[in-house]
Amino acid sequence: MGRKNVNILIVLLVSFFLLLAGCSSKPQENADSNKSDGAKTPDTFIYGIDGDPGNAVNVISTGDRYGLMEIKTIYSPLYMYNGKDNVEYFLAESITPSEDFLTYTAKLRKDVKWHDGEPFTADDVVFTYEQMLKEENGGWARSQLIFNNQPVKVEKVDDYTVKFTLPEVSMGAFEALGNIFIMPKHVYEGETNIANSPKNATPVGTGPYKFKEYKAGESVTFEANQDYFLGAPKIAKVVYRIIMDANTATMALQKGEINAFAIQPSDAAKFKDSKNVSLKPYDEGRVGYLAFNLSSKAVQSKEVRQAIAYSLNRDEINTASYVSSDYYVNAYSILPEKATYYTDNVEKFKTDTKKSKELLASAGASDLKLKLGFTANNPIQQKQAAVIQQNLQAAGITVELVGMDGTALSQKMQSVHTDFDMYLGGYIMGIDPDTFNSLFVTDSTANYMHYSNPKVDELFNQGRVEKDDSKREAIYEEIQQIIIEDAAFYPLVTNKRILAIDSRIKGIEDAGLVPVYTFEDMSQLSY
Amino acid sequence: MFKYIFKRIMQAIPMLVIISIICFGLIQLAPYDAVDAMTTPNMTEKTVELIKARYGLDQPAYMQYFYWIKGILSGEWGYSIVTHESISKDLSVRIPNTIILVLPAYFIALVLSVILGLIAGARKGKLADKIIDGLSSFGIAIPSFWMAMVLIFIFGYQLNLFPILGMHTIGDEGSFSDLFSHLVLPTIVLTLSFMPELVRYVRSSTIGQLSEDYVMVQQAYGAPSIGILFNHVLRNVLLPVITIVGMSLPMLVTGAVVTETVFGWPGIGTYFVKAIQGFDYPIIMAIMLLSSSLVIIGNLLSDILYSIVDPRIKGMGE
Repeated sequence: MGRKNVNILIVLLVSFFLLLAGCSSKPQENADSNKSDGAKTPDTFIYGIDGDPGNAVNVISTGDRYGLMEIKTIYSPLYMYNGKDNVEYFLAESITPSEDFLTYTAKLRKDVKWHDGEPFTADDVVFTYEQMLKEENGGWARSQLIFNNQPVKVEKVDDYTVKFTLPEVSMGAFEALGNIFIMPKHVYEGETNIANSPKNATPVGTGPYKFKEYKAGESVTFEANQDYFLGAPKIAKVVYRIIMDANTATMALQKGEINAFAIQPSDAAKFKDSKNVSLKPYDEGRVGYLAFNLSSKAVQSKEVRQAIAYSLNRDEINTASYVSSDYYVNAYSILPEKATYYTDNVEKFKTDTKKSKELLASAGASDLKLKLGFTANNPIQQKQAAVIQQNLQAAGITVELVGMDGTALSQKMQSVHTDFDMYLGGYIMGIDPDTFNSLFVTDSTANYMHYSNPKVDELFNQGRVEKDDSKREAIYEEIQQIIIEDAAFYPLVTNKRILAIDSRIKGIEDAGLVPVYTFEDMSQLSY
Repeated sequence: MFKYIFKRIMQAIPMLVIISIICFGLIQLAPYDAVDAMTTPNMTEKTVELIKARYGLDQPAYMQYFYWIKGILSGEWGYSIVTHESISKDLSVRIPNTIILVLPAYFIALVLSVILGLIAGARKGKLADKIIDGLSSFGIAIPSFWMAMVLIFIFGYQLNLFPILGMHTIGDEGSFSDLFSHLVLPTIVLTLSFMPELVRYVRSSTIGQLSEDYVMVQQAYGAPSIGILFNHVLRNVLLPVITIVGMSLPMLVTGAVVTETVFGWPGIGTYFVKAIQGFDYPIIMAIMLLSSSLVIIGNLLSDILYSIVDPRIKGMGE
């Protein structure tokens, strides 16, 4: 009896291992066959992303990076503004300002069809801008279409011409009117709640790829739009694959299970000598910074803030977090280098611990204890925070690190609070310096520092309507100098996003690497 | 016996109610407001009010609780406030994915640990015991994400035996062998992380049983020790294992959070982590309620099973 039981157990065990062994050989065949297929003509581009773009996207209220990547794949804007002399036209053939800079006339392409076959016309453009301007829709670009509390007026001239009328001159208007994706009027007409519309689950656009399938937590699949107005895409299928763990993603990329992934600088060395994967670091115009929470009493004195600035060591902080100067440049201004009127002719607060101590003494702030807020699961911010803590220690300032969840941090930033005295962050804004006003103008929507300087407010208002280029330049240079001098905002770094991509993929230059969306026009990619 | 079962069920119901109140209460106490997740700073007061009214967030907390419970009882778990997807629909996709991963792993772990535990217990202090016990200590000490990374590196990358990402190869969704090859590595990780404690448990109860009188009697009769082990000791060791099996029911929902995240497995774990990051409070509440209810139900089931297997139990409660 006893023997029998043992025998049964042994049989069970053996069969289990056999089963395992049997299974392990199958996937190997699979992997091999995949590979040999891959060597011929892969028809799928798998881009790993570390967030879930979700099933429901719409051009009005979707504002997160991965949602916007999905939007960019499906929809097209009139044009993308990437700098003064770098405007990429999509649905518009041209856009021309009038001589007084009060009206802008857009000529539209006539050969564009929506993914469901309907023709694209000026009605769609007017409809989109009107929805974006409706307050209840919560559109991400609404504020940039409001000029001095007056909305821009959008009119249809004929089926392929749209006129934008500004309430007053704004030199940033050319950029502000662009980068907005156009939605189909025939699909969304009469929809009262765009953000929660069930239509968002099956988006219909004019972009290079059509939405095919969303698998919760797994992937979003797109297929080529053969009628794309800039020519049919060369890769038949694009998949955004959700991978929350960066280590797994890096390994999957090395192995070829995915074809692209934005990696951390600390992982870059793994791909240095790789034949299968090449690194494409590109500038997103991001400014990473240390900012002060001015509702907190401890840092309300300018001298204290300057003392802190003098004790920081930019090089040290940036090398620790971005490893190599291939992946960052030191930032000194509130504007990224790509922005119009950028200047580094500002106070750079060269590390000077002695000066720092003097300033602290004259401000009467001895034995200063500060709290630094940052996103706890962000490896870059962890390192920045640690080095900042060290730097300030040398000047006799004790820093307590308050790591928290990204969502919690941004909720905190949006309200008046005193939970921490300074915080780490970063922004990707536009090219024209006017788009930065919401960060620094008193009581503005994104002014999380609660910074207020009447001179800065006034200059931003002047800069917006100044037509003369050299006068405008002087205004924005002054703004940059004043804000840095106030030391409420300490720019750390303009970092690059490092896209690690399958070496077989061609046309990356033509597709164009741009902030947020990664590719300006995915239809140009090919194997 | 039926009286005992009835009594245990009756005890479980108020527990479930209390659990649901605690889940709801904890979310109410969270440092930020649910409505923050749905609004953007540039919305006006009026817009925010409208959004609150639409989701019933302008009602007092106890009314919100009743709406919530009413919905859950009628199978309507509400909507994610981030993706606007129906939660019951999302759960119905993800729970099976997690079960596919956890159930086989748990079963394998159970079978292996009963065998290993018995051997270790029977050969207490000898080499086999030292190896098994040592490995268990090692297993308890190793974090499962690290083990997962090591397996991914060796078997997924260097030897290229198994895929490392997700449940399916893109474009090969219907294939069973594809699913199976994706299952192997995460299953091994889970099995190894479930096993050590079970082994320990079986081992210590085996040692306990071996000092019992009936074993001595069998030995006196000259029965072979393997026979004693599998005919007599095994049965008595397996009894308390029923309790463990019942209590591990909630693992079907939350037992694989770390492993799922590392392997990109589209189950409840990744869903839960994502919801917490995005402060998607209806999802957090749903999963909290689900897993805590499973704890109670699991306990209930194991108590009932135990009372059926060992009728002495029901006398103890009275």
